[in-house]
Amino acid sequence: MEIFSEHFKKDHMLSKVDARLKLGVSLFVLAMVLSYKGIVFPLLILCVSLAVCVRIKIPMRMFLLRFSEPVFIASVIILLKFLFSGQEAMFSIKIFGIVITGYKDGLTDGLQIACRILGAVSIIAVLGFSTPFTEIMAALSWMRFPRSFIEILMLAYRYIFVLLEDAMVIYNAQKNRLGYSSIRRGLGSFGTLAGSLMLKAFEHSHNITVSMIQRGYDGNMPALKHKPFKLSEVAVSALAITAIGIIWKI
Amino acid sequence: MRLQIANFKFILLIAAFCSSLFTATDVYAMHISEGILPFNWALLWSLIAIPFVAWGLYRLKKLSAVDLSFKPLVGLMAAVVFIISCMPIPVPTAGTCSHPCGTGISGILVGPAISILIAAVALLIQSLFLAHGGLTTWGANIISMGVMGSFAGFLTFRALRSLKINMAVSGFMAGLFADWATYLTTSVELASGIRGDSPFMPLFWKILIAFIPTQLPLGILEGAMTAGMVVLLYKKRPDLLVKMRVLKAEEVAA
Repeated sequence: MEIFSEHFKKDHMLSKVDARLKLGVSLFVLAMVLSYKGIVFPLLILCVSLAVCVRIKIPMRMFLLRFSEPVFIASVIILLKFLFSGQEAMFSIKIFGIVITGYKDGLTDGLQIACRILGAVSIIAVLGFSTPFTEIMAALSWMRFPRSFIEILMLAYRYIFVLLEDAMVIYNAQKNRLGYSSIRRGLGSFGTLAGSLMLKAFEHSHNITVSMIQRGYDGNMPALKHKPFKLSEVAVSALAITAIGIIWKI
Repeated sequence: MRLQIANFKFILLIAAFCSSLFTATDVYAMHISEGILPFNWALLWSLIAIPFVAWGLYRLKKLSAVDLSFKPLVGLMAAVVFIISCMPIPVPTAGTCSHPCGTGISGILVGPAISILIAAVALLIQSLFLAHGGLTTWGANIISMGVMGSFAGFLTFRALRSLKINMAVSGFMAGLFADWATYLTTSVELASGIRGDSPFMPLFWKILIAFIPTQLPLGILEGAMTAGMVVLLYKKRPDLLVKMRVLKAEEVAA
């Protein structure tokens, strides 16, 4: 769970920027990456995002962990499009009676999608690495996300860590009693672990409700407060969006 | 015909290759990654997901007005689904680890509407902080994991229980179908999103076959996990199952 941004260094160039602006710019650039036909713009966004991650001192391990899944998926997509989709054959070979054909247009499409994935993931990586969860929630609340949805998000986020600790205790106890010594036993233990977590969730929810009612809870949590925008930050964000928009258009 | 058989063999070869790739890293095949879907498809799936999430919020408002502990419970269940879908479990045929989706069990316990909301919450946290799924594919993932997974789990469990099938088998089948329904929908979404000018069906079958080495056994494993959870809850806290309307009071007494 160290991947959650709260565990990283907090005093960097993006830490004090308003989360609403960071989220807004990220969504705008994401839309541009998705609607771009080609590989140059997503690759440029990837490079800029990587540079920002290096600048705000994200540990390399975290960075690689974050990109391992998207890189894998991008590789599979390239393979699928190259070998199964297209009209213009690039090569054709016969191995053990199976004809394998690679398509040029399929490869181009695959590379385009792969670049789109990496570009889009890098934008969210910068947002996630530079913004604490609670600030993102406040930004979503400002964007008129339903209040109940934000409340559920906050409760879930708060109790992920509590339940994870419970899960680790149960898992270690099971492991010490050879609960994962075979696939069959492992499955049984995993089912018990997941069921125990659900029971813990029921218990915790009861305890939270009791303590919240004692503090005046009537079914709704207090609304999140928003600070006014800083003019300089708004101006820089507008400039960044304009510049990225011009590059996208070119 | 011969060409078709050769094509099928080739697809199987690619499927084996994909599974060998799975050994290099943990697989989060349930979620469509950020950026895969082009803008129009991402927007379409998001628009389709909105009414389902709104339905979940409506049900939440209604139920939490009656029971003040319901909202915290949904929050905690979202945390459990988040943790379950981040937990590695062994996939014997691929020789690696993959991850269950967890919406089968939430569908059984709180019904599809709230389960969709739970999936939406878990998916948003995962996309923001773990790069599982994404903001642009949030809608598509809500449809596959939240809507299809929850409905498949809920309907299978209810149907089997109405036929007096025992808890373990009903739970197993619910988990299995929830997982496979999620995987099937993910394949539809992926094929429609990445096909470009190619026809839909051939690419859909290829994606479906390429995912079989991990998703087929993973469904069975998720079924076993769901059965384990349901049986544990039945043994330890049957009152909770009655409260959640999973069981009738007379079934517990019997």
